[in-house]
Amino acid sequence: MLNNKNIYKPIRAKLTNVIDESQLIKTFVLVPEDKFSFKTGQFIELSVDGIGEAPFTPSSSPLVTEKLEVTVMKTGYVTEYMHMLKPGVEMGIRGPYGRGYPVEKFFGKEVLILGGGCGLAPIRSLLYALEDIKDRLVKVILCYGSKTPADCIYKPLFDRLNSTEKFEAHRTVDKADEDWDGSVGVATTLLNKIRINIENSVAVVCGPPIMMKFGAIRLLEMGYKDDQIYLSMEKNMSCGLGKCGHCMMGEFFVCKDGPVFTYDEIKHNPEIWR
Amino acid sequence: MQYKSITKEEWDKTLEHLLLSYAIFASIDNEFGQDYELIRPADIARISYNKPKPATSLKSFFLPVKENVTSERATEKPRIILGIPNCDIEGLCLLDEIYLDKEFNDIFYRKRRENTLLISSDCIGIQEHCHCLSYNVKPYSSKNADLAVIKLEGTIVLRIITGKGKDFIEKIPAARSLEDKNLISVIEKEQLSTETLLATSNKGLPDYKKTGKLVTEAKAELWEKYSARCVSCGACTTICPTCTCFLLIDKPGFEKVKQMDACQYPGFERVAGGEDALFELQNRFRNRYMCKYAWKPGKFISLACTGCGRCIEACIGKINKNEIFIELAK
Repeated sequence: MLNNKNIYKPIRAKLTNVIDESQLIKTFVLVPEDKFSFKTGQFIELSVDGIGEAPFTPSSSPLVTEKLEVTVMKTGYVTEYMHMLKPGVEMGIRGPYGRGYPVEKFFGKEVLILGGGCGLAPIRSLLYALEDIKDRLVKVILCYGSKTPADCIYKPLFDRLNSTEKFEAHRTVDKADEDWDGSVGVATTLLNKIRINIENSVAVVCGPPIMMKFGAIRLLEMGYKDDQIYLSMEKNMSCGLGKCGHCMMGEFFVCKDGPVFTYDEIKHNPEIWR
Repeated sequence: MQYKSITKEEWDKTLEHLLLSYAIFASIDNEFGQDYELIRPADIARISYNKPKPATSLKSFFLPVKENVTSERATEKPRIILGIPNCDIEGLCLLDEIYLDKEFNDIFYRKRRENTLLISSDCIGIQEHCHCLSYNVKPYSSKNADLAVIKLEGTIVLRIITGKGKDFIEKIPAARSLEDKNLISVIEKEQLSTETLLATSNKGLPDYKKTGKLVTEAKAELWEKYSARCVSCGACTTICPTCTCFLLIDKPGFEKVKQMDACQYPGFERVAGGEDALFELQNRFRNRYMCKYAWKPGKFISLACTGCGRCIEACIGKINKNEIFIELAK
């Protein structure tokens, strides 16, 4: 039986706080008018009234249902408007959409997370979810790269993770500044420094397209099997419902069949790195 | 298959009577060609039967170019669409799969679909680019339309296909069960002769089982060659009975307008930051072929090309997709 819900109509959410994460990245704290829950890795369509709508994966914990955080890089038409918003305004939310991270499949395993740039936003949500189930995990390693130290978001997150049992977090930058004394190089260079039992592990990659490609290639070189690698694919989903066609990647609708795929599911498709 | 028959005179009177409660669209031949028109009583005599095919595809009745999808709509008058070629009926099946999906059904599409009676028309003869049979679509409906119409001399014969079609025809007292075996065999002969015409005029055209592999394995040079005359106007996607891509546009008050879009337009796949997998024209050109013959068949049961040939007719660059397939099949 088909339901009568209007799939295109957003619910309203009040913007209660805007947090500056870096020069180009802000986190928007939203309180939806109705209870809103999502699975980590799923995405929402967030709209600025009368301006436009864009897909984002929430960066907050999936365990919190009364509010929602979305971290947004200023990079296009809609996000430029978003960056001008002040607390108090209403925004629109549709979703959640797609297939998130299958955290239950991570039980009993070591989880390696490779992130870059604003890709840390969905990863932060995943980390919250993993912290909640850490008793059932062996360990969690985060390797994160940003362009410069100033572009690194959620800086307190790294210290918190490093002081959390079973968690460790590593950072690198493409280009150092005077104050930086950590690693320099792209995110994948951090993979040389970690100790992980690859056989009993899964790897999650989330970042800009170039990092997704070379991250996956590096993980395969390290010995990860195709079905141990989870990729969070980026496309410009307009509807989020598997209809509008904008996010087609070969026979997949990234919005509905993804955005999280194992490399095994999509490797046959030459379109994935296009 | 169950048939009913009615004299042409009584059928015309029935249509006139039906106009009181239905909006009727029918295929009409005029000086510009053949297309659907909203019928007034004076137009009934002008309705063309069994001639392929209206210029507009059926999708335009269910997916308007632009519509507000957040505001409530007054109930529309029930509709009858008369004279639909079977290629379009099959094309609608794909739209049904997409828009009547269990998880996310589009209520605007669904209401229009429920509100519409589909009367298909058996094609007698073919147009220059008709090639439905190459993709295993018959030039007449035996499923998915509600009724199918065949005009023979002074008689209108209606083939009953669905329960909705049966309920409708049973309310027309002048329509009587057709038992005349001769008349049925005339219909079957017409069907066969159209099939023969299709087979003869499309010799060498690979079928739908082969097209996916052919486009997947096609070399970049082929796309470069055939896209050289493409100007990204999107006529092929607009006229196509199965192309359904759209974009949601925001209006004040969190309203959303759904507007038909096309992978042939620049920027269709552009993401924030500027990356665009379909930036090159030849990639966009290839995308449409991959979508119709390789990707959609991997995802949906219904065909994503039903061989109507409209994209060939609509192309201002005179790009003929059948020439591409014949070259690929060599």
